[in-house]
Amino acid sequence: MAQWQGRLFLTPTILILLLLTIFPFLFTLAMAFGKVSFEGGALKITLIGIKNWGRLVYDARFWNALVVTLKIVSLSVFCEYLLGLLLAMLLNRRIKGRTFFRVTFLLPMMLAPIAVGYMWRMMLNDTRGPFNDFLRRLGFGTVGWLSDPNVAMYSIVLTDIWQWTPFMILILLAGLQGIPRDYIEAAKVDGASGWKVFIYVIFPLLAPASIAAIFLRSVEAFKIIDIIYIMTGGGPGLVTESLTLYGYSVGLRAFDLAYGATISFSLFFVVLFSSVLFFFLTRKARRISLE
Amino acid sequence: MRKLVVVTLLVGIAVLGVGVFGTGRKFEGVTITVFTQPPPFIAKPVQMFAPDWERMTGGKVKLITAPWAELYPKMYSSFALGAHLYDIVIFPAAWLPDFAGAGFLAPLDDFIAADPRIAWEDILPVYRERIVTWGGKVFAVPVDGDCHIFYYRKDALENPEYQAKFEEKYGYPLPVPPRTWKEVRDIAEFFNGWDWDGDGRPEYGVVEARRKDDQAYWTFFSRAAGYVSIPGQPGGLFFDPETMEPLINSPGHVKALEDYIEIMKFGVPGMINMDSGEIRTVFAAGEAAMAIDWGDIGVLSEVGEESMVKGKVGYAILPGSTTVWDYKKGEWAKFDEPNQAPYLAFGGWVAAIDVKSPYLEAAYDFISFLASPENSYRSVTTPETGFNPYRVSHFERLSGWIGFGFGPKAAETYLKAIQDTIAHPNVQPDLRIPGGARYFEALDAELALAAAGAKSAQEALDAVAKAWERITEELGRENQLKAYRLSLGLPVE
Repeated sequence: MAQWQGRLFLTPTILILLLLTIFPFLFTLAMAFGKVSFEGGALKITLIGIKNWGRLVYDARFWNALVVTLKIVSLSVFCEYLLGLLLAMLLNRRIKGRTFFRVTFLLPMMLAPIAVGYMWRMMLNDTRGPFNDFLRRLGFGTVGWLSDPNVAMYSIVLTDIWQWTPFMILILLAGLQGIPRDYIEAAKVDGASGWKVFIYVIFPLLAPASIAAIFLRSVEAFKIIDIIYIMTGGGPGLVTESLTLYGYSVGLRAFDLAYGATISFSLFFVVLFSSVLFFFLTRKARRISLE
Repeated sequence: MRKLVVVTLLVGIAVLGVGVFGTGRKFEGVTITVFTQPPPFIAKPVQMFAPDWERMTGGKVKLITAPWAELYPKMYSSFALGAHLYDIVIFPAAWLPDFAGAGFLAPLDDFIAADPRIAWEDILPVYRERIVTWGGKVFAVPVDGDCHIFYYRKDALENPEYQAKFEEKYGYPLPVPPRTWKEVRDIAEFFNGWDWDGDGRPEYGVVEARRKDDQAYWTFFSRAAGYVSIPGQPGGLFFDPETMEPLINSPGHVKALEDYIEIMKFGVPGMINMDSGEIRTVFAAGEAAMAIDWGDIGVLSEVGEESMVKGKVGYAILPGSTTVWDYKKGEWAKFDEPNQAPYLAFGGWVAAIDVKSPYLEAAYDFISFLASPENSYRSVTTPETGFNPYRVSHFERLSGWIGFGFGPKAAETYLKAIQDTIAHPNVQPDLRIPGGARYFEALDAELALAAAGAKSAQEALDAVAKAWERITEELGRENQLKAYRLSLGLPVE
């Protein structure tokens, strides 16, 4: 078969892919630089330059949402990685009931975020939730898990950690199982302690899995909306309002489509920039692991 | 043999007759599409009455639903992009200006005039004359009557021992029901944090929706209306009807927001994160002495299987204030009696028809069937329909309410509170202008900041006023002013 014939067969797939990915992308981009109106039975986008972006720069609520998002992402992904690594190391050992624990630890990841949000909202309820009931029985005061502006964001992070640590376990466990036992045995024969084996052998060899897990989880965490929407609606005040939730409120609740698109695109740029920075910072680790 | 021929002929004629003249059913072969939110609430009456209508008319009803957040975008895009996916749309009355103003909805005046079944005069005037009209024409039929009313625990407020203690502490008799927000504040403080119903657990003063991205702004306007709405002076609640200048940061609104923030000290813990659904269960669980809500707390309290307060709830119109901000004079006006201004928060659900629907007549016929006095009475007295009374006849017949689970006294006082609200001379309709959702969204964020203590009442409302000005400029001041005046029933040029 000639090369051009092969390409011809691929063309429909490429066209469909372009239509499904590039078109919505460009459409949203056009909205972010335009004003949306409905005229004569059609959605009309009038380009207005960078007016929406100028509004974004002076929008205190946008900057607040950006900071909230960055805090949630960094805190939750950091904790998820540490916990995930610890549990993956435990599950990698020959312990009794290993299969049971492996399956149990993965369960939260399989739940819909909406269900997780409702479950934690009930558990963290100020007057009727089991958490505060437990604290009361121990003689402590109650905590406004979702109603105290100083605590609410950590409750969201806690919920995210509960749901997504299993994802880290899954990838890191696969990474750990891919490390040849010979390397570890050789290090032990040379007299390395358990800690040194971890630091100088296991951790570097786990770098590709770690980088993949942190990257994938971070990209997902940047888009957090469902858990927040159910648990706090972005409140109290705006302390848990993420960029996605803000974009949703503006675009779909207030129906300000153009500015909603601008906020969505700003999130895209934030994720893109963070990804590039992450890969830049981890380039050395990737190189070492390859060597 | 002759008998057989005659019978055969008669059967033949009958079959031919059916074939030629049809079954006599008016909308045979017609399928109308109804779009609203998923059942049970709001969609349930459509499911209840569609089979009967289909049997009577031969038509078919196809119900399509979408979650609350997707209703507006899907309706708007169906109209604006010419898709015309739905014949009937059932939506909150506040969206009517957006849809009717853009010419998306069919005027219904002629249908209504020719339809005795709809019993138009039986619908309370505020709904038939204001809520469903735009520019002097009727564009929808009310199917639900929504307004905020005030709830209180009779066993607490009417307890002689507590009344004596209250008077001793505050220097005036405990008013039942309270008629000013100042009295509400004192009562909430008095009943906060101790076991006044003897169940071994502490109760609290009040429960009101404060959750961001929910319905808090309706509670705010319920509290603000009495401070800013002078009888006979339209427009004090939202904008100056002469200039479209926002009045949201007037001293009256600021005072209302200060109350809104202060009363949280006497509220059920975690109230800042509670939506309307949660405050209903909290009140029905017996945790609060007072509440503000639509008719739903009444239903849940009197009918709910797990209600701890059945027969213990009192109902009243929203309290007000003896000092009211006069935006025209720029000063506080003093009243001898409290100025109460009940608020038609949300305004209820209405049913309208896409102007481009090929089945206008069938669509109207189904709406008329759904909203007829008999069927609407069944809707408002059936659990989980989400529909509240809006016809004179809904208030006159207690049998349905008692069958619903209300006690006779509870039914009477509950209906009286709603009727007094709707028929009040100073009743305030909700904001009904294009882009209403944008104005409310901007307010919602600032209310959340003020409630969380991140901004003062004045700072928050100043920010709202600024945002409202920007929205008005973006949408066109002249158009918005015209729409606002229309919504208030004021003349436009």
